[in-house]
Amino acid sequence: MKFAIALFSAAHAPSSRRALLFAQAALAGGHEIVRLFFYQDGVYNASAAVVTPQDEQDLPKQWRAFVTEHQLDGVVCIAAALRRGVLNAEEAQRYQREAVAVGAPWELSGLGQLHDAVQEADRLICFGGA
Amino acid sequence: MSTLHVLSHSPFGDDRLTSCLRVIGADDALLLTGDAVYALQPGTVPCTALNARHPTLFVLAEDARARALEIPDTAKAIDYAAFVELSIHYDKVNSWL
Amino acid sequence: MPKSLLIISRQAPWSGPNAREALDIVLAGGAFDLPIGLLFLDDGVFQLTAKQDAKALQQKDLSANLQALPMFGVEDLFVCGDSAAERGLETTGLALEEVQVLSAHDITALIDRYDQVITL
Repeated sequence: MKFAIALFSAAHAPSSRRALLFAQAALAGGHEIVRLFFYQDGVYNASAAVVTPQDEQDLPKQWRAFVTEHQLDGVVCIAAALRRGVLNAEEAQRYQREAVAVGAPWELSGLGQLHDAVQEADRLICFGGA
Repeated sequence: MSTLHVLSHSPFGDDRLTSCLRVIGADDALLLTGDAVYALQPGTVPCTALNARHPTLFVLAEDARARALEIPDTAKAIDYAAFVELSIHYDKVNSWL
Repeated sequence: MPKSLLIISRQAPWSGPNAREALDIVLAGGAFDLPIGLLFLDDGVFQLTAKQDAKALQQKDLSANLQALPMFGVEDLFVCGDSAAERGLETTGLALEEVQVLSAHDITALIDRYDQVITL
């Protein structure tokens, strides 16, 4: 079964943790994840600028490790990311900003990538809110 | 086609549960996650509404355990592996973000 | 056959970028000629109030974007009659004329009809 997983909440939201655990369980169950798409506050999950206290779960780091290990397609919505100051090197240069928050394995791209994932997947699963 | 509705917000002071129970179909199911599991708090308005509509009900076990909520006989406790399988069993998943 | 996608928009128009970002998903789908539906539910029905003044809050006019939906090929536009009634909103003279008013029963059937759903 092919899953598209979309995440709409910030890294500190419980729903972001559930998204990661669902994604891990999907792969463990022998399923495929065609794309992870981070939209709205979900873009914060791709930020390398998040500093989590040592005794707390570091979700951006876990996402990064998960996507890298399984060589997944991790897409961050570019419009949502720009609005929230989560820029990659290319966008930081384009808009003359100093802070670069996103790098590999994440890719900044448009909402078309969400629709493309919906078309390719058997199921779209969204996580967000509380 | 069938739908798995997923709630994650507390039902107190929020209308997601009410709206979800209004549109949930006979072949659909409801999964309570996060603060939405507070809908299981006995004797409350959300719990009564849930029981009155009695949809096929699943509860993410860790969320109920964390909140010291007992899972009633009318619901089935699930883990993430079962969550994945549920999302396949139903034709689509509607998460109330 | 491309898969159809229903967006259920539940946010009031002036509560941050959520309503606009929900609409952006719809517009992007329309731009790719995908079968997209849009349902206004709960506080989302307030997006359809006529004569709103975005300038009062230095915001962009969301209803102008809503009116562009048919031009983007998005013609399956729905509003929950119960949500509107509960909020004292008449379903005549809304900002979006093409919108169909649905009962709870209709909405169950609507969700059933689409391949995938995003509720924001």
